[in-house]
Amino acid sequence: MIDLIHVTKRFGEETAVEDISLSVARGEFCVLVGTSGCGKSTTLRMINRLIEHSEGEIHIEGQQIRAFRGETLRRRMGYAIQSTGLFPHWTVERNIGLVPRLLKWPAERVRERVEELMTLLGLAVDEFAGKYPRQLSGGQAQRVGVARALAADPDILLMDEPFGALDPITRETLQEELRALQARLQKTIVFVTHDMDEALRLADRLVVMHQGRIRQQGHPLALLREPADDFVASLLGGEDRGLKEAALLPVSERMLPLGPRLVARERVVQHATLREALSIMLWRHAERLTVVDDEDIPIGELSLRRLVGARSHD
Amino acid sequence: MRRETSRPNIVLASLLLATLVAWVGLDAVSVAPNRIVPGSGHGAHEVAGTAGLAASLLPLLAGLGLAWRPTLGRLRLSLGLVVAMLAALPAWLALAAANLVDPALPQARMGIGAGVWVALFLLLLAMIELRSRLSLSRALGWALLLVPLASLTACLAVWLEPLALRQEYLGRSEQFLGAIGEHLLLVGVAVAASLVLGVAMALAMRHWPGVQKVGFAVLNFLQTIPSLALFGLLLAPLAWLAANVEWLAALGVSGIGWAPALLALVGYSLLPMVRNTFVALDEVDPGVIEAARGMGMSRGQVFRQVRLPLALPVILEGIRITSVQAIGLTAVAALIGAGGLGTFIFQGLGQAAMDLVLLGALPILVMALVADALLGALTDLLRPGGAT
Repeated sequence: MIDLIHVTKRFGEETAVEDISLSVARGEFCVLVGTSGCGKSTTLRMINRLIEHSEGEIHIEGQQIRAFRGETLRRRMGYAIQSTGLFPHWTVERNIGLVPRLLKWPAERVRERVEELMTLLGLAVDEFAGKYPRQLSGGQAQRVGVARALAADPDILLMDEPFGALDPITRETLQEELRALQARLQKTIVFVTHDMDEALRLADRLVVMHQGRIRQQGHPLALLREPADDFVASLLGGEDRGLKEAALLPVSERMLPLGPRLVARERVVQHATLREALSIMLWRHAERLTVVDDEDIPIGELSLRRLVGARSHD
Repeated sequence: MRRETSRPNIVLASLLLATLVAWVGLDAVSVAPNRIVPGSGHGAHEVAGTAGLAASLLPLLAGLGLAWRPTLGRLRLSLGLVVAMLAALPAWLALAAANLVDPALPQARMGIGAGVWVALFLLLLAMIELRSRLSLSRALGWALLLVPLASLTACLAVWLEPLALRQEYLGRSEQFLGAIGEHLLLVGVAVAASLVLGVAMALAMRHWPGVQKVGFAVLNFLQTIPSLALFGLLLAPLAWLAANVEWLAALGVSGIGWAPALLALVGYSLLPMVRNTFVALDEVDPGVIEAARGMGMSRGQVFRQVRLPLALPVILEGIRITSVQAIGLTAVAALIGAGGLGTFIFQGLGQAAMDLVLLGALPILVMALVADALLGALTDLLRPGGAT
């Protein structure tokens, strides 16, 4: 869907991005992560030609992006940024309808699409359509930002630290919603962040960048288990990597069927993460947990040994 | 009663106290037997007798009392009192005219004394303070001013015949309207021209950063030349142009008159106009511009639909500053024969007739205030996200 082939970007003497190659498949959630100034935002903006790349080729669905006019290309891709970039002088409705209007959709269709999106993102149409951005909370504004990016139903969504300015609770809620939205809509997403937890939570493909180069890319679990070098290891959390990995795996992955032994008193639901299970063990001083389903019916058990020992590469 | 509102309103109390001191201590009016003889001052007690003076102090004392323990209701009452006092000022002058001006002397004239001027000024300040305390709208504030204005109009028509200001006006009523017209025309053309030029220059500066440094240096330098000197400097080149270029001369261009005045006015107006326009366009949130471009708006669309509307309030602010400044500067332009209300000021200064100076200065003051208020209201209306 998106292919970067040996792409380099220079600003004068300085090289911001150096010889990176990256392929994002259709429907894949690709997260670029790294410290500030590592070139991740530059990479994102080269994809929609807000920044022109200096060398190499960038293809969208097999076509060179330079074959399109910048505006045409951008109208085909959703774009959401930190601090939302909503137009303060436009209502929520007008903000969301921006790209469809640029594409000259008939007014009626724009209105329907705006209402559809507001409903999709949990914004009551009657309450929010006429409001101005400064009347919204941070989370609401960011929902509008995402709705605006989705407005023309683009196949590709580019997001530059969209949740960077939100409080942790709102951020987590929106991350969950974005993940659910992605599962439903199957967009191809390129997402930039410096928050490793956010990156691990969202990514199908994690791309670690440093000083303009890609240091490692792959599935989050693969990176956690085999970081290419010390930098990647430390960025992924250093000694905390075990916990980060546990946070990505559900309890159901490690549980055993109910054995002949007595059921343990402490319980954990099957779709909780291993990290949560470990936390319960620490908290309750328990070495065994009973795994239950949503109806609180025991379906298996999880021991500390099993939680710790059954790591696939051990 | 909330504690917040029950603390003494120091601002209002000091304003009213100062009004009281000025009212009692300074001359209320001055009366002269004719235009040439300097007038003699009369205090408030001479206008209405000791009892009358005492009566005139009652509303002030009441206002002071209300300011001591202000509640919402008391503040409203104070506002009513202040408006009533403002409305009573012309009546007070009428009373002074009746009691102090000898009807046997048809040339006798009465000037407004420092006490009344200071009272007028301080009461207006008190009104502004109360308007903001009560968070009344701008429009309502102006509407309240209509009451004293109506009272002034009525008094001028019926009782204030000896008022020197009125006599100066009657002697020049046609000239007066003409001067206002000239003044407004000069200001209007200067502001319009500097708006067009200023926006063009600001756009050029945004486009070529080199122009920016040079441009601001020139404009800053222009601003430091004293206005009189600038008029003088323009005299020679314009006179030469008028002598050598026929169509310019036919247009009325010459070394003195409206042409140098207009040029100087535009020169002075450019700096605030260009600076505000430039800053306004430059300081639009880069995140918003980035989003607009990222959504696929063309450069033209970004400018017309996003940058310009967001910059508009600050640009209007520039027009406001420029207009107020130009209204004042145009007074000086009278010196080189450009006409306008400055004519009266300089005539009055020449003849040591302060009331004639006032006849020129007061309308300039009113014009500046009205321009300020109208453009301020327009700016509020155009703030992003609509009016609050």
